[in-house]
Amino acid sequence: MDHSSVSSRARAAWAGLTLPAAVTPVRQVAGLVAAKVRAFARLLVEGDGPYARAFENLILALIVFSVASIGVDSIPGLPERVLQALRACEIVIVAIFTFEYLLRIVAATNGFAFIFSYQGMIDLLAVAPFYLGGFDARWLRALRLLRLLRVLKLQTHVLERVVEERTRELADKNAALEKAQAQLKAELEVARSLQLAILPAAFPARPGCQGAARMIPATTMGGDFYDFIELPDGQIGLVIADVSGHGVPAAFFMAVARTNLRELAVRHTDPGECLAQTNDTLCAQNPLDLFVTVFYCILDPRTGMLRYANGGHNPPYVRRAAGPIVSLDGAGGLVLGAMPGVRFPTHTAQLLRGDQLVLYTDGVTEAFNAAQELYGAQRLVDEVHVHGSGTPAALVERICQSVTHFAGAAPQSDDITLTVLTWGAP
Amino acid sequence: MNLRIEALAEVTYVIPEGRLDFDAAPAFQEAIERVLGGAGKPPAVVIDGAALEYVSSAGLRAVLLAARAAQRAGISFALCALQPAVREVFDLSGFSRIIAVHPDRASALAQAQPGRT
Repeated sequence: MDHSSVSSRARAAWAGLTLPAAVTPVRQVAGLVAAKVRAFARLLVEGDGPYARAFENLILALIVFSVASIGVDSIPGLPERVLQALRACEIVIVAIFTFEYLLRIVAATNGFAFIFSYQGMIDLLAVAPFYLGGFDARWLRALRLLRLLRVLKLQTHVLERVVEERTRELADKNAALEKAQAQLKAELEVARSLQLAILPAAFPARPGCQGAARMIPATTMGGDFYDFIELPDGQIGLVIADVSGHGVPAAFFMAVARTNLRELAVRHTDPGECLAQTNDTLCAQNPLDLFVTVFYCILDPRTGMLRYANGGHNPPYVRRAAGPIVSLDGAGGLVLGAMPGVRFPTHTAQLLRGDQLVLYTDGVTEAFNAAQELYGAQRLVDEVHVHGSGTPAALVERICQSVTHFAGAAPQSDDITLTVLTWGAP
Repeated sequence: MNLRIEALAEVTYVIPEGRLDFDAAPAFQEAIERVLGGAGKPPAVVIDGAALEYVSSAGLRAVLLAARAAQRAGISFALCALQPAVREVFDLSGFSRIIAVHPDRASALAQAQPGRT
């Protein structure tokens, strides 16, 4: 290797300059060697690779050992053997530190800048006292502690970067989660409006018949429903029902129950038979073991004759125009969806002019107030008794107000559903 | 709802206290599953309703599922000592016709037969 090639290699390695396009083959080889050496140096002292980490740990251990040995060294009266061993160690350590120092210079993009940097100066100070030798500069070796600080500082930087990265990842995940939640909420809102939309908005127009209904869901999705069904022979089917539980499963089951009942009501003019058929259909498509309480009645608007069957629902009340309030408590059957093959007896009741039929779900009678008291059937009967002389819509409104007023700040734990029908009203 | 379990030689009593509603139903179901699937399979499970103040439709469903699970496991299942308001809910829903309901522990025990629900 001639002089010029050595100097150009050194330049390239120290100052990070690349060799000009090969002037001579020797320079070409020299450039190649320089690149290899730098790659090797970078492998050991830069980045986060396994070699760099192992090398860093080695240096760290040597620093600790070397600082400790300074302490041991200063103990008076140590045997010569120990002192010799310590000196040997010192030589090895300084050799490795020097090697590391050179590697760092080679690895640096700008070698000179590294030498005059804070890090470079500390690294130099860690080995310089050994080479100066002439005067006792052993205490200067304590400066190696600064190297320790440097390494630790570096590690803190790495740690901070990791924390930063994780924090950012977490923020990203949170944002994604919030987005998904917002989407889910929006979809639930749509489902809810669909559910409310399948409830009939108006009572079928019949001379002398007035009806009104309302459902106030407890959660975003309710399990209660009511229905008015126009039957082929001019009669009207009235349904009030309560699916067990609430939320999306209950809402789905409600939609299935309502659709089946509506379909079967047209084919089965006997209420008990209609419930039996609906029950069997529901049992066959009930993976979640839900069930629904249903009161179903068919009113002949011309005669006021009411035929009804009950599948585990609260018996409705009839407010007689003459005053008394009676309960439609003919023996009922089981809730629908729990067991196939159940029979539902059909009963009849004769409505008189001005009589009011009040259908409700247990969300009304089992509304709790903050003191954990039940609204109860008696309060409902009292409301019907006092306010039943008005229109069905007015009574529905009145009862809803009474229940919400009673419950006060207590959360509404169940859907509240009411249907009121007045027959033969003037 | 609080829930206590009393495992005796001939019967395991499950004693729910307070309200068995939508919120309490999962804990009730879990307890029943534990009792039915436990190591020493009890010959009979009786829900003692003396301290049960309220059962919602979701609570009824939990009881129905418990009765079915017991039937599958070949374990006799019954209710006893229901308070009047709760008893009315079981009568109204028709559940007292498919699940045995007894006035007290003594008669529940007397009639406990494996496999009967």
